[in-house]
Amino acid sequence: MTGTENSGGNSFVLLQVGDRRFAMRADIVEELAPPVRLHSFPHTSPLVVGVIVRRGHVVPVYDVGPVLLGKVSPAHRFYLVARRQFGETSESSAIPVNGECELATGEVQPPRQGRPEYVTGILETAVEKLEILNLEVIMASSAAAAHVSNQPNGFTGASL
Amino acid sequence: MKIASPDASNSRRITASEPMILFRVAHQTFAIAADAVQEIRSTDGLAGAATEFEQTEVPKVHHTIERAHRTYYVVNAGAHFGLPVTRPTLVLILRQLRSAVLVDQIERMADIFTVHALPRAFAGPERRWYRGLTYLDDHVIPVIQPNGFLTPDEFNRLDRVAMAIAAERQTEKAVQA
Repeated sequence: MTGTENSGGNSFVLLQVGDRRFAMRADIVEELAPPVRLHSFPHTSPLVVGVIVRRGHVVPVYDVGPVLLGKVSPAHRFYLVARRQFGETSESSAIPVNGECELATGEVQPPRQGRPEYVTGILETAVEKLEILNLEVIMASSAAAAHVSNQPNGFTGASL
Repeated sequence: MKIASPDASNSRRITASEPMILFRVAHQTFAIAADAVQEIRSTDGLAGAATEFEQTEVPKVHHTIERAHRTYYVVNAGAHFGLPVTRPTLVLILRQLRSAVLVDQIERMADIFTVHALPRAFAGPERRWYRGLTYLDDHVIPVIQPNGFLTPDEFNRLDRVAMAIAAERQTEKAVQA
């Protein structure tokens, strides 16, 4: 990750998912991790594609591609690790991203009308305007939609 | 940018190692505490003790097994976890539970020192399926919660079907007599 360390409220991490760039509040971002091995196992949780191991901790990986791009994210180069809040506790969560992330500051404008709830605003930097993502809302909005489609399937008719 | 701090509640370190059985279902490895398994039998060897259990209430159960005067509902692990269809060769008969599990093969035994809590990102039935996750030989392996194969509600539904089948058989016998 490039840029000067700054966890102030106006700092954002600029990330690329697929071919689109977004911004995310910098104070929830922990690190940009290399593309370590993704471990998967059966589960039914929407957007969760598996886990990675970082510094001895198991970190769930969310593919936000279906929500942001309408399709599974293409091959990625890094994991952006951010904290996700669960009530009073929080948990490290990883998002596959393409390319380097940058730290940036800029003016925040309200989101354009009709944009999804997970877009909390527009970040205007010197060179571009990017939608600011709210990770919590992305997860919450996808949970209900994917609940049915992710139920276990593949019942077998095996016999003893 | 904050530096990640180790979260003490994120993993449960077992002071002594816990022996576990690593088994496979459809190329996926799982771990189960050796203590939770009473017996491992080949499905061929159990053919005589197994009874077909025709019901649609709990589709992952197609058989029962009688062992030591107890009836065990046999859960197909592949169906339970939503994995592709396989041909299970072994059945794990669970201790202190009325369930047994069809699996493809036993990989090996392993001593597990740490079981990490299942991240909260996992919010579905998997919270009931798994005790947590373990990291062994560069692999993250789900650690099975033995009583997660059948919920109390599923047991109730299966018991109701079993009772109905038993009553039907009694009636048939009475008619024949």
